[in-house]
Amino acid sequence: MGNINARCVVTGLGMVNAIGKNVDECWENALKGTPGIDRVKSVNSDACYAHLGAEVKDSDIEKNDKVDRVSVLCLQASKEALKDAGITEGSIDASRMGVIMGSCVGGVVSIENYIEKGEKTEDINKMSIASIANHVADMAGAKGVVTNIGNACAASTMSVAYACELIRAGVGDVFIAGGADAFASVPFAGFTALHALSENPCSPFNHSNGITLGEGAGAIIVESYEHAVKRGAHIYCDVLSAGISSDAHHITAPRPDGIGQMYAIRRAVEKSGIKYEELDYVNAHGTGTAKNDEAEFLSLHTIFDDVNDHLSVSSTKAMVGHCLGAAGAIEAVYAIKALTDNKVPPTIGYTAEDLETLKEKAGKIDFMPNEMKEKEMNYVMSNSFAFGGSNASIIFAKNEGNMGEKENDEDIYVTGIGIVSPVGNGLENYIAKVNGIVKNEEVNLVSELGKEDFDKYDIKLAFYRKLDKLSTMQVVSGIEAIKDAGFEFNDENAEDFGMIIGTGDGPITTVYEFQEHISKEGTQNGSAFNFPNTVYNAAGGYLSIKTGMRGYNVTITNGNQSGLGSVCYAANEIRQSRAKAMLASGSDENSDVMKKLYTQLGLVADAKGGIYENEKGIALSDGSVTLALESASNAASHNAKKYAKIAGYAMTHEGVGYGNIKGSDAGLENAVKEALKAADIDADKIDAIFGFGNGLEEVDSIEKNVYGKLFDKEMPVINVKDYVGEARAAAATLGAAHAALTLSGDLSKEQDAYFMKDGNVRTGKVNTEGFEYVLVTSYATGGSYSAVILKKVN
Amino acid sequence: MNEKELAIAARIKEMLSENLRIPAEELDYEIPLFGDGIGLDSVDSLEIIACIDSEYGVAMTGVAKENFYNITSLTKYVVENM
Repeated sequence: MGNINARCVVTGLGMVNAIGKNVDECWENALKGTPGIDRVKSVNSDACYAHLGAEVKDSDIEKNDKVDRVSVLCLQASKEALKDAGITEGSIDASRMGVIMGSCVGGVVSIENYIEKGEKTEDINKMSIASIANHVADMAGAKGVVTNIGNACAASTMSVAYACELIRAGVGDVFIAGGADAFASVPFAGFTALHALSENPCSPFNHSNGITLGEGAGAIIVESYEHAVKRGAHIYCDVLSAGISSDAHHITAPRPDGIGQMYAIRRAVEKSGIKYEELDYVNAHGTGTAKNDEAEFLSLHTIFDDVNDHLSVSSTKAMVGHCLGAAGAIEAVYAIKALTDNKVPPTIGYTAEDLETLKEKAGKIDFMPNEMKEKEMNYVMSNSFAFGGSNASIIFAKNEGNMGEKENDEDIYVTGIGIVSPVGNGLENYIAKVNGIVKNEEVNLVSELGKEDFDKYDIKLAFYRKLDKLSTMQVVSGIEAIKDAGFEFNDENAEDFGMIIGTGDGPITTVYEFQEHISKEGTQNGSAFNFPNTVYNAAGGYLSIKTGMRGYNVTITNGNQSGLGSVCYAANEIRQSRAKAMLASGSDENSDVMKKLYTQLGLVADAKGGIYENEKGIALSDGSVTLALESASNAASHNAKKYAKIAGYAMTHEGVGYGNIKGSDAGLENAVKEALKAADIDADKIDAIFGFGNGLEEVDSIEKNVYGKLFDKEMPVINVKDYVGEARAAAATLGAAHAALTLSGDLSKEQDAYFMKDGNVRTGKVNTEGFEYVLVTSYATGGSYSAVILKKVN
Repeated sequence: MNEKELAIAARIKEMLSENLRIPAEELDYEIPLFGDGIGLDSVDSLEIIACIDSEYGVAMTGVAKENFYNITSLTKYVVENM
C-alpha cells in the first residue's frame, strides 16, 4: 500500500509572523529585509536585561477567545494554506486528510492566564500543545492522522517530515503540516535566565550574542503527487527527504562538534538522492547564539566547502525572530518561496565592519548579508535544531529528486518492555501484580522513583537531579526497555537507534510551576535550572543523552492515545528509515497541579468505582511505559526475545471539539477497521481487546457500542487501568505491553476480563492460551483514536 | 566560620538543595560543586548566581570560577561583597 519513495508535493502555503499576516506580506517584507523586532508588549520585560521581541500585530490576527493565541495563529495560517491549495470542505476525502502541527510551548499563555486571572476552567483545555492540531482538524474536517510534535524549536520541521512519511506509508493523501508558537512569559523568562536573549536585535552568523524571540505560524499543505495532479492542484514543489537525529549531548546546548546536525543534513541529502553540490540554498537554523552559530558554521563548512561553490545560506530569524516551535514551518515556507520565486532572502543587521568579519568566516558560502538576491534554484534545505539535542533538516525541490531507498519489509517485533507505574517499577513487578490480581483501589496515584531505581541503571545524581518527574520516569522506563531487549549499539551505529515518545499532558506540571514562580517573582526571575524541562521533548532528550541513542527522536502529543500513536510512529520509522530499532513510549505525570486541573474539569472520581460500570470519574495516575521495537533481522542478530509481532496499526480522528470527553463511535470504529485492513485480517480473527475505558461513562460507552457492532462474538476486553489507574499516555503504551506479555505467555493464562456484547458488559475470567491476534485501542479527548494489532510469535 | 558565615553557608546549602535538587545529605561545605564532586554545570551556576543575587544582593556574574568551588568559597565571596 505504501511507497517510501512516493512523491510528496506542496500545494498550499500559509504564514503569519511579525512582518506579515499572510504569505505574500511575510515574503515581500523578508525580501526587503524589513525587521519585525521591537520592544515587547505582551510580556512585562521592565526588570529584564533584554526587551526585544518579534510579535505579531494584534490587528493582523482574528480575535478568538475560545482558543489559546497559539491556535489562533495556527488556524489563520492553516486557513490560508487550505485556501491556497483550493481545498474546501467536502472537496477531498476527509478520512485521507490529516493534521500534524509542531509547537514548543503550546498554550502557555493560557497557563499564565489561568494563574493570574482567576483560575478559570475554560483556560485548562487551552494549555496543552495537544489542542493545536485538534482545532485545525476540526476547522478543516480532517479525519485522518491528527497529532502534534513537541520537539521544541525543531518541532514543525519534523511535522512536515512526518506528514510526508504518512503519505508514503499510504495512510493519507493530504496533510496540513506546520506549527505555531505564541509570544509568552515562560520562554521569555527562561531565555532571560539562561542569558540567551540578545539586548539588540538578534544577529545570526554575525554578533551571535543571543536570540530574539518571535511568534507566528506556518502551514504547508503536503499532498501525494497523484492526488494533487488528479484534482488539478497548483504544485509549488516536491518535498524530498528529511533527516532527523539526536545529539545525545546536552539538554540545551548543541554539540560543539556538530555531528548531530551534520547527520541530519547528510541524511536528508542522501535519502533525497541529490548531490551535495546541487543544493542551492539553506534556510539556516541561525538563532544568533554563539553556540548555535559556531556549531552551524562548522556543520555547513564541513559538509559543503569542498563540494559546493554556489551555496547561499540565510537566517530569516533576523527579521521574524526565533519563533520556537513555529520556526521550522515558517522557515520551510520561506525556503519554498525562495525556491519557487528564485529569490534568496537576506540575513539583515550587518554593518560595513561586520561585512569584513563575515568574509573571513563565510569562505565560499554566501551568507546573504543585508540584501536579497535573484538566483535560479532547484534544491533548498531548511534546518532546525532544538533543546533536547533535536536536529531536523528537510529538502524541497523543483523536481522529483532521486529518492531510491528500499522499504524495510521485514516483520517488526516487540522485544523489550520497561515499566514505571504507581504499583511499582519494573517489568517483573508488573507481571507479579497482574498475576496476583492486585488491582488499584485509589483515585489518585503517583509513581515513585528512588535511589534503588537509579542505582539499578547506573544513573548518577549529577544526571537525575536535573530531571523533572516526567523525564525521570521516561529515562527509567526507556533504559529498562533497552536492557530487556538487549539492544547493542555503540558510537558507530548510534544513529540507527531512535525513539518516539508519546505524552498527553507533557511537562505541564513543570511549565505551570515555572509560570507560577515568575507570576510571583517577575519575568526577570525565571529558573535557569527548571526552564529546560518546560519543553515537551526534554524527556526524550534526557533519554538520548543517558543512553547515547543518536537516531530519530520525536515527541508526539495528542492526549492519551499518544502512547499508542508512538507505537504506530516507531513501527513506521523502522519500515521507512534505516532505524534498526526504535523505542515507543507513553509517559504522563501526576502531581498536585495535574490533580487540581483534572479535578476542576470534573474528571476525577470521588471514590474508586469500576471501569465500564457507568462511573463518573477516573483514578488519576501516571507512569512511563516503553516498548522496544525491532526489525526481524536486528532481533535475530542478538537473539532477542520476541514478545509479539506488530501486525497492523491505524490512527483516526473524528472531531468532537478539543477537550470534549464525549468521543466518537465512528472514530474508534474507523481506527479498528483500518488496523484490521493494515493487518490484512478479518474482524473474527481478533481474540481479545486491550481497551481504554477509564470510568468516565462517555469514554467507556464508546468501547461498549463499537466492539458490539464490529465483532460477532462476546469480546473479552482486558483493561490495564484496573491495575494502574488512568495513567493516560503511559496506560496506552501499557495496553500494548500487557497485550504483548499476554501473547508471549509471561502473564497467567487466566486473566480478569470484561465481556462485551450488544452494549452489555459482564466480568469474568478469560483463558488467553489460544490467543493469536489481539487488538489494542486508545483514545484522546477531542476524538482521536489509535488501534494496534499484535500477533503471537510462534 | 563565624556565626554569620555559618548562617550564610547553611542558607546556601538550603538553596542548592531546594533549587538544584541536590539531596542535603550529599552536601557538606567542602565538597566541590562542579566537576567530579556534585557535578554542577553552567546552567546550575546561573541558578546559583540568581539565588545569591536575590538573597544577598551580591552579583556574581563573571566572577572567577574558584569562588564557585564549594559552599565555603561561595560563603566567603558573599561575606566579602555584601
